[in-house]
Amino acid sequence: MLLQAIAISVFCYLGALSTPWLLGLTGGWYTITRPLVSGMIVGLILGDLKQGILIGVAIQTVYIAMVTPGGQMPADLNFVAFPAIALAMLSNASTEVAVTLATTIGVLGTIVFNLYQVVNSFWNHRAVAAIQEGDYRKFRLNAIAGPQATNFISRFVPSFLVVYFGSGFAKSMLDSMPQYLIDVMSYLGGVLPAIGIAMLLTAVVKENSLFLFFLLGFVCIVFLNLNMIALTIIAAVIAYLYYTGSSKKSVVMSNGVIDEEDDEEEF
Amino acid sequence: MAEKILDKKTLTKSYHKWMMYNLVAMSFEFLEAMGFALSMEPIADKLYSDEPEKKKEMMERHTAFYNTEPQVGALINGISAGLEEQKALGNTGITGELINSLKIGLMGPLAGIGDSMVPGMLIPILLSIGMGLSSNGSILGVLFYIVAYNCIMYFGSRYLFFKGYELGAESVDVFTGEKAQQITKAITVLGMTVIGGVAASYVKLEIPAKFALTGTEIDIQAILDGIFPKLAPLMVIFFSWYLMAKKNVSPVKLIMIYFVVAFAGVGLAYLF
Repeated sequence: MLLQAIAISVFCYLGALSTPWLLGLTGGWYTITRPLVSGMIVGLILGDLKQGILIGVAIQTVYIAMVTPGGQMPADLNFVAFPAIALAMLSNASTEVAVTLATTIGVLGTIVFNLYQVVNSFWNHRAVAAIQEGDYRKFRLNAIAGPQATNFISRFVPSFLVVYFGSGFAKSMLDSMPQYLIDVMSYLGGVLPAIGIAMLLTAVVKENSLFLFFLLGFVCIVFLNLNMIALTIIAAVIAYLYYTGSSKKSVVMSNGVIDEEDDEEEF
Repeated sequence: MAEKILDKKTLTKSYHKWMMYNLVAMSFEFLEAMGFALSMEPIADKLYSDEPEKKKEMMERHTAFYNTEPQVGALINGISAGLEEQKALGNTGITGELINSLKIGLMGPLAGIGDSMVPGMLIPILLSIGMGLSSNGSILGVLFYIVAYNCIMYFGSRYLFFKGYELGAESVDVFTGEKAQQITKAITVLGMTVIGGVAASYVKLEIPAKFALTGTEIDIQAILDGIFPKLAPLMVIFFSWYLMAKKNVSPVKLIMIYFVVAFAGVGLAYLF
């Protein structure tokens, strides 16, 4: 158990938002910290690959559309992806309960992340001073080594404590939890993905006509029972028609300024 | 742009440094500034190998506050490399202020485009396909996501970086001009349609309320299923969007509100 907890916590560090070693954001945060992928990794470490992937898929649904504009996040996905999934697997929680457990840990994790960013201000000032002195070795030390040491501690330690000491506690807590609370958690697990999707809508939707396309995609799944690949192809065709439609119009308009209002009449 | 100092090796090194280190020392105060400076270091070494004062001046310039979507934002690193090269070659039209104001002018729009294209569209699409393939516990979908996402991002960002370098200041128009805006909008349309499907697949809420009325039992969820299955999840999404976008309710607060509502709702269901 000690080795497994260490392995999970090392992966937790590797997948953190600012860890550079797996091609930075691309291979770390956006790859191994996606619950779909981390579920497989945690499953492999704990010796039950299939269960790991199943829990990973369930938790991924909550965070499928999460954006982190300007480093602000509603939940620390990195702590969701590693310690929380490990905890859910070790305590044999059902996937719905695992989702709520993970979300709670994710929200608490944002405190650690904000603290990390505050400490980095200290390293940043030293790095800028090093450049002013013309000492580039010192610059790299303060821009990479210092913050990454801080990052390692802030990821490894909480993750290790949660996995190593929390698993027994979480199991007995879930065993003694009344059915009432488990029902509440199951409902929440189903509804929480709505928050991620609403966040994305808040970030992306600049004009309300875009909601029509959202509704179209929704209806294609609910009433036409399409799968995701079919929907993506349909969406691409519509996007192409939208593009050709809007570029034809802008040729007609002599001043070349796109009138936002007119776009709604295209469809 | 006939003269060149930078070779492909130096540029590739700068690109790799950016991809690795973009968020390496992120703080509220500087965000991606240290990452940008680290990616400019190979360029500065090459341009000013025997002029330490000029190297220092260039490095200092790139430690100013910086923030964008890093993967799509690789374009700006390419542009900066191109402009720094022209400046080093003695093009007086290009000043340090120009380079800095270009960076600041571009980081906002590219953050918007990048966020709506990468976590807003590409990632949900690839994840949805991966989750579909792995819904029975198979490893296939996970591997699909890892390979597809990393290939698209590594080569896509690399293309943007070198395109930015080639075009220099011209690329500002290419990537933020009218045509680029139309393409971005079309891609947003694609993304919204797919997100609609994602919402329908993954948000779950059933209303367990049943009433006994004059002998016959009325099951609300069964009636809803006959009119518009999944109407309740759709309402929840719109309600969440309304609170976040129009009332500035934070996502964390929203999670707590849902917790209270679920607690009370299940309690009510137990009472009846």
